[in-house]
Amino acid sequence: MKIVINGFVLSRLLIGCFFVVSGGLKLLSPYENFLYVVQSYEIHTASLDRMIAWVVPWTEFLAGIFLVCGLWLKIVLKTLAFLIAGFILVVAQAILRNLPIRECGCFGELFSVPLPAVLLIDNSLLLLTWWLLKKIDKTKNFSLDSYFVTSEFQKRNSDSRSFLTKTSAGTR
Amino acid sequence: MKNAPTNSSLAKVKGKEDAPIQIVEFIDFQCSACAKGVKHLQKFIKEHPNKVRLELKYYPLSVHQHGFLSAHYAECAARQGKFWVFHDYLIDKQKYWEKLKDVKPTFELFAEWSQLDPNDLKNCLEDKSVEEFISKNKAEGKLLGVKSTPSYFINDKMFVGFDQLEAELKRLLNENSH
Repeated sequence: MKIVINGFVLSRLLIGCFFVVSGGLKLLSPYENFLYVVQSYEIHTASLDRMIAWVVPWTEFLAGIFLVCGLWLKIVLKTLAFLIAGFILVVAQAILRNLPIRECGCFGELFSVPLPAVLLIDNSLLLLTWWLLKKIDKTKNFSLDSYFVTSEFQKRNSDSRSFLTKTSAGTR
Repeated sequence: MKNAPTNSSLAKVKGKEDAPIQIVEFIDFQCSACAKGVKHLQKFIKEHPNKVRLELKYYPLSVHQHGFLSAHYAECAARQGKFWVFHDYLIDKQKYWEKLKDVKPTFELFAEWSQLDPNDLKNCLEDKSVEEFISKNKAEGKLLGVKSTPSYFINDKMFVGFDQLEAELKRLLNENSH
């Protein structure tokens, strides 16, 4: 297996770490804190708010880990693209409605980011995710996916080689 | 300073000690959601006077430029036994003072309206231990998992923001009426 660390791999690792931190901080803090962030965007019903406050941190955290490890990359990147697109819609409507949200709450008080900046970050992340998906072969470098695929390919290759050797020996 | 409680924490408590609904609120006086929460609590306490015991703690957020100073003035008011009067001015006039660059003259005016002793107030404002006390309140909140304001601990369970406060008070009221 040839290990190549290129811009795609670096971007994949960066996005992965970003989501591990973002999801991890939400999971470490009491659930009510992120529920408050979700509620402050004023778009869902109470029960949907609760569900989102449970699902989003776990999705971010697990998808981040999978992205760093490079496991099931296509599915993970598509999931993250869907999640980021959702964030963009939610933040954009909050800006348009001029909701009194000073910061997104993504990283707590430590990194306070105003909503337009959040929108910029989310759009960049979406573009980057889309780019990684588009160039999935390069993104797969230095990943578990490439390891499994390579091993499987090598196994299949050696199987077919031994089969061919056997059959050609038989015909001789 | 006549009738001033020796413990400023006592000055920031409302309601009977054995009330069935015990609330500890972490507040930033510059936060608009906190003002909304205070108004809801005031109404709730008025309607159910014997059911709630409310205690306030400071949690000034760094994103609010006047958050810490407002807490400092409020603590000075608490040390003169006038916390709730000053607190009400801060909340009622929040929309006005939150936009000001220099907020001190407005807080001085609130202090005058709350009949605070000007000399005691001056000394208190220079007292570094008050700042430490506020920071300790915030550190306590952080330790409990508080990240944003308003955060409430209702009967020891955490709730953040107006929606969660309203829902829990409604639930407790239903529970108590059965």
